[in-house]
Amino acid sequence: MEIKTLLKAGLKKHMGSLTGIFVLTFLAAAALATVLTVWTNSNRYIRSEIERAGFGEITAWISGAEDTARLAENMESLSEIERVEVQSLIYSDYMVNGQESDSEGQLITYIPQEHRYRFFMDNFSAYSDEPKEILQGEVYVSPSMISMFGVNIGDEITFPIARAGKNLILTVKGFYEDPFMGSSMIGMKGFLISEADRAAALSILQNAGINALARDGAMLHIFPDVNFPTVKSALTASELNSLLNEQTSLAEYTENVHSKEAVTGFMLVLENAFCGLLIAFVVVLLFVTMVVLSHNISAGIAADYVNMGILKTIGLTTGKLRLIELLKYFISILSGLIVGFIAAIFLSRVISDATLTTTGVFIPTTPPILCNLAAFAALLLLLGGFILLKTEKIRKISPMKAIRGEVNSKNDRIIKIPAAFGKWIQLRLAFRQLASQRKQYIGALTTAVLLVFFASLVSRMNTWLGSDGKGMMDAFNPADHDIGVQSFGELTQEEFENTIRSYTDITDTYMLAMPSVVVNGVDYTANVIDQPERFHILEGHTAAADNEIVLTEFVAAHFGVSIGDTVTVQGDAGSEEYVVSGIYSCANDMGDNIGMSREGYLKIGMNHPNLWCWHYFLADTSQKTEIAKALESAYGGDIHVHENTWPGLSGIISAMHILLVFMYGMVLVFILIVTVMTGSKILSMEQKDLGIYKAIGFQTNHLRLTFALRFGIVSVTGSLIGTVAAGFFTNFLVSMIMKLAGISNFTSALSVGNTVLPVGIVVLLFTGFAYLAAGKIKKTTMTVLVSAE
Amino acid sequence: MKNILIQACQVCKTFSGNGQETEVLKSVNTTVYKDDFTVIMGSSGTGKSTLLYALSGMDSITDGSVTFLGKEMHTLSEKKMSKLRAKEFGFIFQQTHLVSNLTLFENIAVAGYAAGIGTEKEIKEKAEALIIKMNIHNAKNRLPSQVSGGEAQRAAIARAVIGNPKLIFADEPTGALNKANSEEVLKLLTELNNDGQSIVMVTHDIRAALHGNRILYLEDGKILDELLLIHYGQDNLKEREGRVSRWLSSLQW
Repeated sequence: MEIKTLLKAGLKKHMGSLTGIFVLTFLAAAALATVLTVWTNSNRYIRSEIERAGFGEITAWISGAEDTARLAENMESLSEIERVEVQSLIYSDYMVNGQESDSEGQLITYIPQEHRYRFFMDNFSAYSDEPKEILQGEVYVSPSMISMFGVNIGDEITFPIARAGKNLILTVKGFYEDPFMGSSMIGMKGFLISEADRAAALSILQNAGINALARDGAMLHIFPDVNFPTVKSALTASELNSLLNEQTSLAEYTENVHSKEAVTGFMLVLENAFCGLLIAFVVVLLFVTMVVLSHNISAGIAADYVNMGILKTIGLTTGKLRLIELLKYFISILSGLIVGFIAAIFLSRVISDATLTTTGVFIPTTPPILCNLAAFAALLLLLGGFILLKTEKIRKISPMKAIRGEVNSKNDRIIKIPAAFGKWIQLRLAFRQLASQRKQYIGALTTAVLLVFFASLVSRMNTWLGSDGKGMMDAFNPADHDIGVQSFGELTQEEFENTIRSYTDITDTYMLAMPSVVVNGVDYTANVIDQPERFHILEGHTAAADNEIVLTEFVAAHFGVSIGDTVTVQGDAGSEEYVVSGIYSCANDMGDNIGMSREGYLKIGMNHPNLWCWHYFLADTSQKTEIAKALESAYGGDIHVHENTWPGLSGIISAMHILLVFMYGMVLVFILIVTVMTGSKILSMEQKDLGIYKAIGFQTNHLRLTFALRFGIVSVTGSLIGTVAAGFFTNFLVSMIMKLAGISNFTSALSVGNTVLPVGIVVLLFTGFAYLAAGKIKKTTMTVLVSAE
Repeated sequence: MKNILIQACQVCKTFSGNGQETEVLKSVNTTVYKDDFTVIMGSSGTGKSTLLYALSGMDSITDGSVTFLGKEMHTLSEKKMSKLRAKEFGFIFQQTHLVSNLTLFENIAVAGYAAGIGTEKEIKEKAEALIIKMNIHNAKNRLPSQVSGGEAQRAAIARAVIGNPKLIFADEPTGALNKANSEEVLKLLTELNNDGQSIVMVTHDIRAALHGNRILYLEDGKILDELLLIHYGQDNLKEREGRVSRWLSSLQW
């Protein structure tokens, strides 16, 4: 009974600060539950859809196989393989809305009976029924084509099947969900077409001979026999790949091989990276919430010091008083968690809808109850334990001391620097007040440190990414360039270089090829370069000699090899052993690639003339788009031109900008709450001093300025610590997240945007909100100094 | 003819709360003269402090007017009012009310700086001089929480006078002090008055009231009567005490 009464009174008395705790918990909980929902659901959904749609444990993209069915049968004859499903396709470049793709599209024949794919309503409000058939001339595409190329229903997509204008032109009929390569982070794209169009394309190909631009091929979905002993005892995807390469002719026809896990990784690379960042931010927010909670509990106990002493004299135990405090804050925290959870349902829906054109899939929005419950229970336990710890000081309240008004801790330390008067008196007094009540500002200081640290960290990432995504491109490219040109026909290097020079000078050039090779039995893309010194080497030296190879750290870790070890590489002309000379960075295929010199590769690979792509550095880089257009217009299907960008990049840049806006929005709200809560407590403690200052002639504006300056000083100090911490830890922390995307060369650099801006914003917000919060000084009258008559 | 510092006409002050209105000052008319040591007396709850704060402009009034040197105070902007408090008035409170995180010396000097009485050096020198005069030299570098009540109140007096104010308002300045410290403080106030400092002091202590040369008696929000005396120390103390006692008795004190 007494607990209920005292709890009610406590809630009423501390309504302001409890509301602040509620808002902070709500924001942190909403962000946490949203991230958990998006992360868990997207991972679960992609995995379950890949399963449902019938994609194998590993999938091999092949071309040039004369008898695909026979190859599949050979594979199925292995004891380790249960079955192999074949999906026919045609590889072809494509053009849409005046833009040429930089990766090949895959024209997949739609077979309704397979029920592999789900289709969207035209307005993306829900799924629609599967079409009974796709008519000739129609094509269904992934919604990510909207963000990549601005595709709409009714647009035409041109597939150059053969030279001399032998194109297949299809009209976008609708959108389908492709859990395998639907994300804008994946270059290759599937196009669902009719059997009639496939037949028409094959007919063009058969008649085109050497003029063919497209290629016939297939996806082989390979399912291991899970009951076979070696498979059961955890045969990895790469071991399976290695087994198939050894015992069948798969390697001869392979374009790419990817495991289900790898494809899931490709699909979720953006979600995983940003969810990782957001979870880190949520941790920062929770920490700030705990700091504010700590400050509030201490201030609350100080405010109720006498009352608690009186309650002790009438028999209330320390345990009961702590229980009341615990319940008081628990009600606020629990309410925040519940409302935050409800808000997360709506936020998840908003995110799912907003990211559909990037991810290509509808991420389910039903919150994973168990996961959220576990996270919230852990949070409650953490905060509950924290409250109990902080209320320990109630035990030390002596009833008689409290009634007599004797406070245990007196601040009797004399601080005389700077002098309290003279020029800049507001600043001098701000320093003095700050120094003498420094404990009151620990919350604001910690908040400033954490928020600036995170803001600086994300801003450093943004700087690395660059406004045009160069940082990301450099991470994905084995070597830098401005423009790349690959010739498929009789076109000579001199011819297209003349076209380039008609716009601007070529400052430098090198050759790069990306053939498929088998390393220690596993398929990888090889980056083969004629100037290996251009590789981004992280460790050791580049593959300068013809018996050397560089690996990404992911491939090196996979094989358990390091610099000086040897690996066996098989190409289309033979097999050789190579010494690992260094570790390099290239995030293609999420880091599953290797690098070799031209001389090294030619020991095992055929020197096809069309293999090589010429990479150029231009004197005037602003001309590269015009040059690309001119080359495509002049040489059509005989040439493939790519700039140092890819369509999915805009999605990443947009996501980064959204993250920055979201983060600064949260920073604003948190600073507002922290400043108002801390400021109110300090102002109420300083009522008497403020009255004195007014009595001796200080104006309200001067006092407000002094008050705001204190928060300014605190936030400048905190911001500097946060910036320095970000300088030390950003590379380490962000690299951990970037490695999820196969990027191992993240290094951030200083810039105005990632140092001055976060500090400026945080300091401005703290100072501005403190000045606003100090508005109540105007209402402080000198009657607080009047003695009772 | 005495010079008028403050003129209060029909001053009313009503406090509102819990749906009730309490009229504390009821059409008070009074004048504060230059060089006077004016004492406001009355029983507890009669509105003494309220009148003091109304006269000093530290609290608003509900009706009427208060002029300082002929200028209406309650219509002044906050800026002008602050200037007035900094340059023209000094305040002494019962609980001393020194800024808790400033030393006694700083408390005095900051008020001098707010009053704009000179350069930083001049303010320091004046603060030092006052500290010697108030006999708190040994405590000047201590915080208010580290000194005795008497020392703190003497520092408060020094703070009140550093700006050379035309008028000092003292609200029960001896209310929280023991007898020895009370006498010390009253002695200092009397010395200041004798040097030409005008003072208005609220007290309910007859011994403190004896130090004034003009005593206003407040009852139920109105000035009931006033007693004029010659300046303290210029007459026989016993006779002065008897006169004030008789006057108060006649007012049923």
